[in-house]
Parts: sequence; structure tokens; C-alpha cells
Amino acid sequence: MISERRRPPRQVLARLHSRHILHAYLFIAPVIILFGLFRVLPSVQTLLYSFYKVELLKGRFTFIGLENFSSLFADEIFRKATVNTLTYVITIVPISALLGLILAVLFNAPFHLKEFFKAVYFSPMVTSTVAAAMVWWWMYNPQFGIFNVLLKLVGLPEQPWLMSSHMALPSIIIFSVWKNLGYNMIIYLAGLQAIPQQFYEAATIDGAGALRRFRHVTIPLLAPTTTFLLIYDTILALQVFDQVFVLTGGGPAGSTNVVVLDLYRQAFQRYNFGYAAAEAMVLFLFIMAVTILQYYYSKRYEVAY
Amino acid sequence: MTRGSKVFAIALAILFLTPAIALAGAAKTTITLWYPAGDITAGAAHFADKTLFTEFENKNNVKVEAVALDYDTMQQKIFAAAAGKNIADILFIDDSWVPGFLKEEMLEPVADAKAKAWLDAVSPEIRTLADYGKGRMWGYVQYGIDVYGLTWNKDQFKEVGLDPEKPPKTWAEFRDYAKKLTKRDAQGNITRVGYAIRHVGQPHGVVHKHFWAIYGAGAALIDTPLALRGGKYMVNTPGGKAALQLVLDMLDVDKSTSLNFPDPRAAFLKGIASMQISETVSIRARQPKEAPDLKWGMALPPVPKAGDRPATNLGGWLYSVPKQAKNKAMAWKLIEWINSPEKDYELCKQYGASPRYKANWEKEPFKSDSYDQGLKQLYPYGIKLPINLGFNGIMEATGNAIQKVWHHEATVDAALAEAERLANKAIADAAK
Repeated sequence: MISERRRPPRQVLARLHSRHILHAYLFIAPVIILFGLFRVLPSVQTLLYSFYKVELLKGRFTFIGLENFSSLFADEIFRKATVNTLTYVITIVPISALLGLILAVLFNAPFHLKEFFKAVYFSPMVTSTVAAAMVWWWMYNPQFGIFNVLLKLVGLPEQPWLMSSHMALPSIIIFSVWKNLGYNMIIYLAGLQAIPQQFYEAATIDGAGALRRFRHVTIPLLAPTTTFLLIYDTILALQVFDQVFVLTGGGPAGSTNVVVLDLYRQAFQRYNFGYAAAEAMVLFLFIMAVTILQYYYSKRYEVAY
Repeated sequence: MTRGSKVFAIALAILFLTPAIALAGAAKTTITLWYPAGDITAGAAHFADKTLFTEFENKNNVKVEAVALDYDTMQQKIFAAAAGKNIADILFIDDSWVPGFLKEEMLEPVADAKAKAWLDAVSPEIRTLADYGKGRMWGYVQYGIDVYGLTWNKDQFKEVGLDPEKPPKTWAEFRDYAKKLTKRDAQGNITRVGYAIRHVGQPHGVVHKHFWAIYGAGAALIDTPLALRGGKYMVNTPGGKAALQLVLDMLDVDKSTSLNFPDPRAAFLKGIASMQISETVSIRARQPKEAPDLKWGMALPPVPKAGDRPATNLGGWLYSVPKQAKNKAMAWKLIEWINSPEKDYELCKQYGASPRYKANWEKEPFKSDSYDQGLKQLYPYGIKLPINLGFNGIMEATGNAIQKVWHHEATVDAALAEAERLANKAIADAAK
């Protein structure tokens, strides 16, 4: 038998043609080409830039090795931005997941106007982050915003919200939870509806109450959904930018400065593209590490039914 | 193909091509101009007038296309467009962006002879703004420049027994007035501040609004403001510390200002702040629409003690040409046309702005307009922002320090020591 490598090229082509392999590649080519052009190529370029001092308009690229990275680790502003980003991630991911799960459980039971309320909870997800953040900026306004009006109505002290270095990050987190909640709810709902009813029936026959069924049937069988949401939400949260840019611009006093905002400023306000590329690479590696970790850890909870 | 068919085919092709050829022959060169959308600067208002360039277009057989860009991302868009070599022929830019653009060698200088002639014809404050050292110009400064001034609410002054025509002149008076003007509700919450401060948002904006105190107290952002490279950060000095302490005392001791209030201009126009210090041109433009009943006064910001020289910031917008522009010659021609003495007079009169040419200041309505004449009192004390290539780093370091102090995240000494370290690093990095 002639091996594939030794076949004449025309024969190899004919074989590929007969098996529709060429057609398959042809069909996926647009996506592969576009993905390569707009995703892979810029990523490789960013990786290269991180080792250079980049003067884009002058077309001057000076190789400086790891200098951008060493400066980065000594940069107090970047350190603070990293801490803020991690605080944001650690807070928003579990809160959104938990609230999403609670809502999904509620929506899993039949009730009047269920679809309408589902749409209401999902609507923030399809709203532009910038537009929604503009509205929330007004809602957070200490003088005229609805939040302080409500607090005043129930006799609680008014809050400075975005104006305070202590409250600005929690305020952004509240906004982001509101924005993401609908998505988490829908994904959890899909996960809940995929759990076969016989597990619940068996547990009920064994005498398990609603809470035990939830703890020992629902939670374990939702593990793949939870893993997906944790990975997805973590990746998104590590890249937080729009809401911070609109609501606080990173202030007050750098209390809401996050990695992507810092990266943006370095690139487009200070024109330090090499340095910004190094920040992007650090963020990329961090996201990759978190994703791999979560993925392998979640394998322990994989279920098949 | 028969001969007849060939002739027919050729005739048909010519018929199809004729309009295209005619159109191509008649196609006008388009000069694009980018400016900030909205009411970011009163000096951009005229771009909304579709007939603004008609005279120039007819004379030069060109089409001028003015495109409004979002201010917050305009600087970034300009840079990205320059990198992509697909940029407008004329940029209408904030002067605080110039150092960043110069760092990347993005702007065309104004020809020396033309720069000299222009600088000689305009009033001193315009000269200060337009001259980037030894008569070098990177663009033509637009009319209606920004000069910061203290503005106060005359009715509220009267309400608390202060003379509505006498603004505070020293820091002591300023604190005293602010305390008197502050109002509280039954629970003791401040409902009106004596003085509104800018303490949130981009660090640049925070520095702009506190510039008067920093410079008034004898400090400066850098010791060599007109040098592109080198220099030393000068806010971590006794004057700079006093400037930050002033507002800190108003926050903590006097309780005459608050961190819970929005942008000073908005607060002032809404009547929840009695005094504020920012762009007077902005108050002038917004007041008729947003607070038609407001009676306000305008003066120089207060000084540490009687006899000190006041200081305020001077800023403006420039018409400039990027190096990557496709129609440079026509772009300069258009810039010279719109910045001519005749257009300066015509547009300033139409849009209620202050002119640039010395000759136009001698004409009515500017000669007798109380607002314009008021501005003339402020101009001599105006200080232009430094042009150092590390400018953005200096502004970020200073803005963050101010915010940290006022938000009680750091002491004045610690915040300014950190700012000094970061700003000097930015200056050194930019000089490399």
C-alpha cells in the first residue's frame, strides 16, 4: 500500500476531493481567515510588541527584552489596578452565579406572566453596557439619583455612591451584577430543565425533602453549568472596562482603576504601546491560567445522564 | 461577431462610461475636518452651520466635510486614524492633547513666517497659547479661549448678607464666604455647598479645576513648562501642599464643600453651589439655557494672601494639520481662511465669543461688552499647560494625588511624594 505521503500530489488532491475534505476546508475557510486576521494576528502582534518600545506613528520599534514586564511589576498603579480587578472578579462571579441560580429555580416553576418576567430579567443583558451605565450614573447621583431618594424614603442615610473612593467599586459591582444576572439565570434554567425528572422522583421516594433534593440532586447535576458560568463570568470580569470607563473613569483616587482601563490609558493617552501590550499579555496569561485551573478542577464534577 | 455588432458594443460601452468619466472629471477634492461633538467647547458651535464653508468651497472648488467625533474618545480615534494613515486633513484639537501628539511627531508645524505674522497680530493671551517656544506654532488657536475664573451666584451672596459685587480675593475670605454660603437640611446634610469641587472623573479634569490654587500658591506642574523634554515636577512643594490642604480644610474643618456633589459647573448652574472655579466660557454658554434666572459674577480666583499674584489656567482648541493628511496645502489654506481677521470678527460676533486679533478687540461689540471686558481682566494671569512630552503622566499623577487627599486615602505629604515619583518617571520616560 502506498502511504499518503508517497502518493503523487494529483492523487492526494483527488482523494481529498472525493472525501469532501477540500469542500469542508473551503466552507470553514472564511471563518478561519477572518479569525486569523482579526484575532490571531493581533494577538501575536501584541505578544511581539510587549518586548519592544513601540513608536507606532514613527514606525520605530526598539527591542527592549523584558523591560516592559519588569517595569510593570514595579508599577504601583498597575498593582492597584490588578487588586481592584481581582476584587471585582472575586465578588461579582459568585454573586451573579448565586443570584442567577436562585432566579432560575424560581423560574423553573410555572407561574402567571413567567415569560414576561423572564424577559424583564434578561433585558439588561441585551442592553448596551455604555447606555445602561449612563442611566445608572444618574441613578447613582447623590443629589438627584433614585437610589438616594429610595434610601431617604425608608429612613436610611443617603450614600455618595460613585463619588466615594470606598463606595465606587461596590457601586460598579452592583451595576455589573444587574447586567449579568439575566444571562446566568437563562443558562442555569437550561441546566435545570436538562436534569431528568427520575432523579427527583427517586429522591422523593427515598424520603428526601425539597431542600435535600436541591442540595443532593440539583446542585451536583448542575456542576457542568456552574463550571461553564464560572469560567465565562471570570473571563468577562477580568476584562471589565466599559462600565468603569463610563461610571467612574477609574476614580476616585484610582479606587476603580482596573487592568484593561490602565492598559487603554497607557496605549491611547500616553502612547506606550509596548507597555500596554505587556499588560495585555499578563492579563491574557492570567485568564488562561484561571481557565485551565477551573477546567481541570471542574472535571471532578462532571456528570452524565 | 459582425462589424456592426462590434460598433454597437463599443458605442454601448462609451455610453455607459460617459457619466462615470464626467463625474470623475468633476469630482471635487474633499477636505475633512474633525471636531468634538456636543457642547464640549463653545468654539466648535459654528461647525454645525452647513453654510460655514460655502464661500471657501466656491472659491477653491473643494468640498469641506466637518465630522463631529465623541470628545471622550476623540484623541484615541485621531491616533488610531493616524496609525492607519486614514486621518482627516484638519484636526480641531484640545491643546492638552498636543504634547501627546508631538511625542509621536504627528503634527505639521505652521510655516515660520506665517506663525510670526499671526503671533504679531493676535492679542497676548492668544500668543501665549499659540507659541510653543521661539515662535513655533502647531496650529491656530480658536477664538473664545478657555480662561478659568471664579464664578459666584449673586442672589445667594445677597441671601447670606455678602456684597454680591465683591467676590472673595484671598483664601481666608474664600473659606469664610464658602462657610456662610453653605446650607444644610434639618438633619445637617449639606444641600448647598459654598464652593463646588471637581474630585471625580479623569485625573486631568481634577487637575484643571485645581490649577488656580496650585499655581496661585507658587507651585507648578513642571519647572520647564515650555520644554518638550526634561524638567522636574514642582507640585510637591510647600505651595502645592498648601493648595491641596486648602480644599481638605474646607471639606473637613469648614464643611463648606462636599464630595457628594457633581461636576462644579452643573452644581453651580443648578443652584446647589454658590461658587465654583472653571471655564468661564462654559458658564457663559450654558447659563442662558440651563439657568436663565441665574445672576452670576466672574473674577480671578482667590490668592493665598493679599498682594499675591493670582493665577488661572488658559486653554484652548487648535486647528492643526496632521502629518498624514492627504490634502495638506488645501488644509492650510482653509485654516488660514477661517482664522483670518475678517472671519474672526464675523464668527465671534455671531457666536458671542471673544476675538483673537488685537484689531478686532477695538471694534464693537467686543469693545463695550461687559463679559468680554471681564475676560480681559483674567487673561493676563492665565498660564498655559506645560508642553512636556510626559504631560499625561504628570497630569495623572497629580490628579490621583488630589483625589487621594480629598478622599482621605492618603495624607498630603504621602500623596504628593508618590505623585512626584510617578511624574518624574513619566518625564524621564518620555524624554528617552
